[in-house]
Amino acid sequence: MANFNTHFVVAASASAVLSGTLLSMEILEPTQAVMAFALGTFGGLMPDIDSDHSKSIGVGFTVVSLLITTLSVFVKSSTYSIVEMLLMAGVVFGTVRFGLIGVFRKISKHRGMFHSIPVALIWGVSTAIIMHLFFGLNALVSWVYGVMITWGYLVHLILDEIYSVDLGNRRVKKSWGTALKLVKLKTNTDKIQTALVYLALVLLMMKAPDTTMIQEALFSPEAWANFKDVLLPYDGRWFFH
Amino acid sequence: MYKSLKIIVTLTITSLFVGCVPAGTPKPPVKKEPRLGTPIQRADYSYPPRSYRQTIKNYFSSKLKRAEQASYTFSAPQRAYKRKGLAYGGDIVWKGWLVDVSIAVPSRTGRMQQPKPHMVLFKNNVIVEDILGSKHQLITRLGQ
Repeated sequence: MANFNTHFVVAASASAVLSGTLLSMEILEPTQAVMAFALGTFGGLMPDIDSDHSKSIGVGFTVVSLLITTLSVFVKSSTYSIVEMLLMAGVVFGTVRFGLIGVFRKISKHRGMFHSIPVALIWGVSTAIIMHLFFGLNALVSWVYGVMITWGYLVHLILDEIYSVDLGNRRVKKSWGTALKLVKLKTNTDKIQTALVYLALVLLMMKAPDTTMIQEALFSPEAWANFKDVLLPYDGRWFFH
Repeated sequence: MYKSLKIIVTLTITSLFVGCVPAGTPKPPVKKEPRLGTPIQRADYSYPPRSYRQTIKNYFSSKLKRAEQASYTFSAPQRAYKRKGLAYGGDIVWKGWLVDVSIAVPSRTGRMQQPKPHMVLFKNNVIVEDILGSKHQLITRLGQ
């Protein structure tokens, strides 16, 4: 299993490549590309938040707590006084960062459904919904941010699978196949968890922003033509533009 | 020691975030919001924008790359309103006229790209915002 630093570096590199490509294809503005890079890197740390002793759970819960605290402050900013908001922020942050983390540690199991492709998709769709409905971003940018989270998440899962192959001893470790999976059906609890994950994904997709723009931007013949336009120097002159 | 220092730093940053937000400002008078089944208050939306095609072209001429070669397709203006994001309270933030426009611009290699839809929001003949796409869950269209 790759450690925190490896996951961080690989997720950041993969996110830099993708956000840079999207910027070059003129799908994102420069400031949006920076945000996309940050989200992709964060997505690459998220799968390990189900590990009780990893750094990821600390980082993940701090970021989520700050996000929820800031959102609650935004919602109440026109009615609450500064002192009321400070008190509310303290309570919200404390509850999520130090209260919820305990509950989460109890119910989650490392390499459970948190290490799976459908959960990577759930985080992406949830991000798209939050960006669109909570922050009012357009459907394309909201989806790109969601794609970046899923991208970082999947990079993490792939890296875990790569690390489960021991090249020196020419063997496959026991952890092989536990990261990049679609379902987990060992026990009845696993089956219920898998069903709930897919149900959540379907429900979230019903509330998700319009997908027309992201399909055209990333998964259409036009997108492929745009990618080819920027892949190599179109006039054959390297570095002299 | 390190743990408590981390907690203090995090709480301080949160407090700073909170401190940046103005509070206690008097609330503006509550306006009647359009609901399903209630008649549209035409006066709230003013008149449809005049010469909106030229206004839109002028607006995008400084916003788009290679705008001088852009080609535009316009729809007729229609009444619409937009809510703020839920993080900012979700109140109605704009009521006016919305014009759908498709804009095709060449790529940097000169290849003409597929047109992209934009929603252009007008208030009293002035463009207040443009949104990429033809749908947004915070925008409600009311027709012409």
